[in-house]
Amino acid sequence: MNQTLTAASLAIALGTAMSIAAAPVVAQDKMMADKEKCYGVALKGKNDCKAGAGTSCAGTAKTDHQGNAWSMVPKGSCEKTASKTSPTGHGQLMEFKEKKA
Amino acid sequence: MNANAIFAEALLDPAVPCPPGLASWNGSDPAQRFAVYRNNVVVGLVDALADSFPVTQELVGETFFRAMAREFVRAAPPRSPVLALYGQGFAEFIESFSPAAGLPYLPDVARLEMLRVLAWHAADAAPVSRQALAAALAAAESLPLARFEFVPALRLLASPYAIVSLWAAHQSENAALELAGVATDTPQTALVCRHELEVAIYRLAPGAADFLAGLLAGQSFGAAASAAFAGDPEFDPAATLALLLGAGAIAGIATPRRMS
Repeated sequence: MNQTLTAASLAIALGTAMSIAAAPVVAQDKMMADKEKCYGVALKGKNDCKAGAGTSCAGTAKTDHQGNAWSMVPKGSCEKTASKTSPTGHGQLMEFKEKKA
Repeated sequence: MNANAIFAEALLDPAVPCPPGLASWNGSDPAQRFAVYRNNVVVGLVDALADSFPVTQELVGETFFRAMAREFVRAAPPRSPVLALYGQGFAEFIESFSPAAGLPYLPDVARLEMLRVLAWHAADAAPVSRQALAAALAAAESLPLARFEFVPALRLLASPYAIVSLWAAHQSENAALELAGVATDTPQTALVCRHELEVAIYRLAPGAADFLAGLLAGQSFGAAASAAFAGDPEFDPAATLALLLGAGAIAGIATPRRMS
């Protein structure tokens, strides 16, 4: 079977796509005008202060005492996540012996 | 080892003693002050990872995530002062982190979250204009050899796991309920693209994923579409192009005539 597509079929696909595609191609020039990217600000509050000492919030940082907490079972939403290969029907969690300090 | 290297090593390893030659302005114990600084450096970097990988954190819980992130921070501290882009390599680290091996999809979820950050910070580019699309359509006979140009904020990630569904379930108010319906072993391909100030993540059907991967690899419109059909008879080129246009992913279409 010949899988090669004709120019006409590609044109139909592109034409159809143009007619059903939403916003961006239509309203592209308006939206940029009233918004601007704030440089130096990341997705969410990731500022220099978080880089640690010498800044006003440095004294509020959490202490780093958790040691080998990762040697415990991850306790997140994975336990609620379905998994076909798991006998429980949910995410399987590996258990680990806690290391002695 | 020079003084900077000694200082840097001690910063990341609590077992290493306070570097020699430090003094504090008020006469307090430099070892204690150094311990505070060491703590803040690591906690700050772990916080940065928690901001960039919120779904990864939700999947394993905060305690596990922070402990895992701390191991990564110590193994791979930032090489650049741009904290926003820190975390490249975190997915690979998770892959080799045996306590997380029970969640095989976790590295790809982390990969997807990193792509989202990279898309957010990618250069701005205007999507293709209506006029350019109309011009490409008017020269329909050259469409099979046309090549698509994409915006810098476009990323593609194919996974053997249901990464888009997992990610999407965690955007919901009721993540637990949504997650119950996710079959994690379903292969999914994610399209990540920023348009204006929104980073969107789309799930691509197999044919659409092949099509876009082909175009990104430099294949012509005709070749990429034919290959996509060959791999997936359900491939819908119009719907796929509509999705790409709607996502603001296409920057231009270069037809052979225009390229000359």
